[in-house]
Amino acid sequence: MADNEEFISEFLIEASENLDQLDQDLVALEKNPHDPNRLASIFRTIHTIKGTCGFFGFTKLSNLSHHGEHLLGLLRDGKFTFNEQLASLLLELVDAIRTFLSSIESTGKEGDAAFPDLCQKLDAACLSTDTPSVHETAERTAASTASTNQSNQPDNQIVSAPLAEPVASTTPNDLPEADNSTSGVSSDILSRPESTRSGNTFDSTIRVDVQLLDTIVDLVGELVLARNQLRTTATDEPALLDAVNRIHTVTGELQEVAMKTRMAPIDQLFNKFPRIVRDVASACDKKVNLHIDGSDTELDRTLIEKIRDPLTHLIRNAIDHGIESKDMRSVTGKPALGEISLRAFQESGQVTIEVSDDGAGISVDAVRKKAVEKGLVTDDVASAMSDERIFQFIFEPGFSTANAVTDISGRGVGMDVVRTNIESIGGTIDISSQRGIGTVVRVRIPLTLAIIPALIISSGGERLAIPQPYIQELVALRKNGTSHMIDGLEGAPVLRLRDRLIPVVYLDRWLGLRNWEKRPTSGTVVVVKVDNHEFGLVVDAVTTSENQHSHATETTGLWFIVVKAISSLLAPMGIYSGATVMGDGSVVLILDLRGITMAADIPALTRRAGDLQSTSEEPQDVVQESSRYLVCETHNGHRVAVPLNQVQRLENFLQSEIDATADSCFVKRNGELTQLIDPDRVLHTSEELEKETVGLSLVGIILPNELGNKALAVRRIIDVETGHGQLEKTAMKSGLLGTLLVGGSATEVMDVVAVSQWSEENPLL
Amino acid sequence: MNSIMNTSEDGTDQKRCCTFLIENTCFAVEADCVTEVLQRGVINNVPLASPAISGLLNLRGRIVPAIDLRIFLEFPPAPHTIKHISLIVDISNEWYCFLVDKLLDVKTYAPHQVSPPTNNSSSVLTGVLPDSDQLIHFLSPEKILKNLLDIRTESLSVG
Repeated sequence: MADNEEFISEFLIEASENLDQLDQDLVALEKNPHDPNRLASIFRTIHTIKGTCGFFGFTKLSNLSHHGEHLLGLLRDGKFTFNEQLASLLLELVDAIRTFLSSIESTGKEGDAAFPDLCQKLDAACLSTDTPSVHETAERTAASTASTNQSNQPDNQIVSAPLAEPVASTTPNDLPEADNSTSGVSSDILSRPESTRSGNTFDSTIRVDVQLLDTIVDLVGELVLARNQLRTTATDEPALLDAVNRIHTVTGELQEVAMKTRMAPIDQLFNKFPRIVRDVASACDKKVNLHIDGSDTELDRTLIEKIRDPLTHLIRNAIDHGIESKDMRSVTGKPALGEISLRAFQESGQVTIEVSDDGAGISVDAVRKKAVEKGLVTDDVASAMSDERIFQFIFEPGFSTANAVTDISGRGVGMDVVRTNIESIGGTIDISSQRGIGTVVRVRIPLTLAIIPALIISSGGERLAIPQPYIQELVALRKNGTSHMIDGLEGAPVLRLRDRLIPVVYLDRWLGLRNWEKRPTSGTVVVVKVDNHEFGLVVDAVTTSENQHSHATETTGLWFIVVKAISSLLAPMGIYSGATVMGDGSVVLILDLRGITMAADIPALTRRAGDLQSTSEEPQDVVQESSRYLVCETHNGHRVAVPLNQVQRLENFLQSEIDATADSCFVKRNGELTQLIDPDRVLHTSEELEKETVGLSLVGIILPNELGNKALAVRRIIDVETGHGQLEKTAMKSGLLGTLLVGGSATEVMDVVAVSQWSEENPLL
Repeated sequence: MNSIMNTSEDGTDQKRCCTFLIENTCFAVEADCVTEVLQRGVINNVPLASPAISGLLNLRGRIVPAIDLRIFLEFPPAPHTIKHISLIVDISNEWYCFLVDKLLDVKTYAPHQVSPPTNNSSSVLTGVLPDSDQLIHFLSPEKILKNLLDIRTESLSVG
């Protein structure tokens, strides 16, 4: 019996893989009914299942497969042409076989379900000579048995329910009868050698327990540490040093290979979607074509399983709510066939998966209105928010309700769950959409859960890791504290960062690491953002990699750390999400920022900081005494300042990259066009734009999103300086706020909003 | 690991236990759950963890929480002269490290000779066995763990 169990488990693994392949084959066959290769492959699979079941004594499953095999045999011999109804019927068969297999897996027995109506339908399909009548016959026979079988086969009912209706509605789609040549070809197919089958990888792959792979990865990690110790001790003997160096190289490669064993192509997941798209589309009575791109993108195998549900949900959403009904599409002049595209690619240590549709899109205004209605945001704030930020509201729990605006109704159902799932594996999700054009949902997930980028900080003699995705910026605290004052507020310190007040937590004090009096006066504030809560963690220093042989690789202060689970003893504390082993063998804890947000009650601290901010003088005035400015030099050598809070980011580009259209200058960045504004033109310091030599580099000061895709083009950035004294509004030029003492010299301060408006009225030539 | 349950010549069941000292008191855990013993081991502090959890130990890439039995059993803190010994204990496939003062021996004993604890206040104590010149106090690793899980959150209010 023990031997048998082993064989059965092998059979189950193989059968479930074959069934997945069957799903794909059937959907593909539906599109191309005259593909004899696929038909033969389907026949073989069902035949194998039937044979193996008979061998193990699973008679019901064997019987069911027999009915299916018979029908497939007739199909293969060209007695019928494959069509949509037969596809539905055979997919139903696949689901029924799955039900059996899962029952065998969990209980070792076939279970009670016998699917007599499915058998009858399959038989009816065999008997009928002309295809259109198959469905009717099947329905009649099914109807007679359905009432008696309903109670003991809930699985089948659920699966087949959405299929039945659309099949009826699409019956008239007669496909041409198979020509004789098809049957001639197909009869030889079984005799063809196995190697002609595409995707046959049986010879080059083996099944390995994932835990075993993880153990290998762990052991290799340990080897790396031992190697590091060896390198520091063995220095005298040249021969030994040579050997150590070789061990160093080999271990490095071994580590890389070991990590790769965890990776698997996302194809494993993507190949499930053609079937899902087909089922959902026919349930919604829509025609949808799924386009898959980048299915060879590799991802940690544990993550593949975790993104299955969120992605399925997104695809369902795209079909159900994204793609318009057939009528609507013809009214708007779109092709009847809706397009859904699923795209995966690697980008800077992350895998991006895009689900896009060419449907109706989402109305930003409707979402904005709904968000204000639900009290998620005030009207003023919402109107200043960018579209991307507005779309984020879709992920709020219960955002879309029954009385929601029709444009977005249903869109938000379950989207909060999708976001939660994605975030639980360290990923992010965002939506962009254009009315009438379509919607793109972008999911970004780490390449692997095992290795994450993080900042290693020290606080009170301890080293701790902060995962990079949460980090907004680092702010240095100076001894005299003039630049970023931390105001003590009844034990709730805040950081004054540009125009905002952010609550801060002294990590050493919060973790009870040392005597409060002994803490150094300087340090670094790591500004982090968890959901919508922004706060600062005050740490002593940020640790950079001490040597290149260490377990982690340093890139601009970031470490790639191997995440290991911490014991069930410590996980419930909720302040550490894991631990990692550093190059010297010591254990460093990874902070769970979400947990800390809760434990330190950041939301309450934020409210108090907000109260403080509203009571501080003239909070609306953009130009405060303590404001910070980006000081730069224009093409004509003019010194101007831009309020730092009006700068989204800086980008370098070359003169040659600029596209001059008839009335404006643009530069293309990330697929979007950004309009360039020359400050000299705004300030009338020169009447004509100098023709610069090609190859000269420029700096674009990207303006906030609310102002559109605009950037100020300057020659170079001088520095970030603090402005002092009163703003003198003597120079009443448009586009200027006035003149201010910035960084020790009088500087003209740009009025970014006015400049933006000016650029719309006076586009550059 | 050899079979723990042996049958001696006179037909009674025999078991083996691992005995160790904490503050000159002899304790024991069943030998079959001890996977290895470490002389040295760098233990990294875990801020805000309960005092008996002295930190995390890196054991061949596996991160193992270290439980200081001295503090857990409410003995005075160890003098600096004592170098602790790490007992790696397997509790339902998770590893834990018990810090003790000194490892003594692996002893064979007959379970029926173990008397239930005279003092019932500490539930982690499962029995006492008189040995030649001392008493061996039997500890249950599972109960120690459960005890720690119950008190784990108490220090979270620091801040």
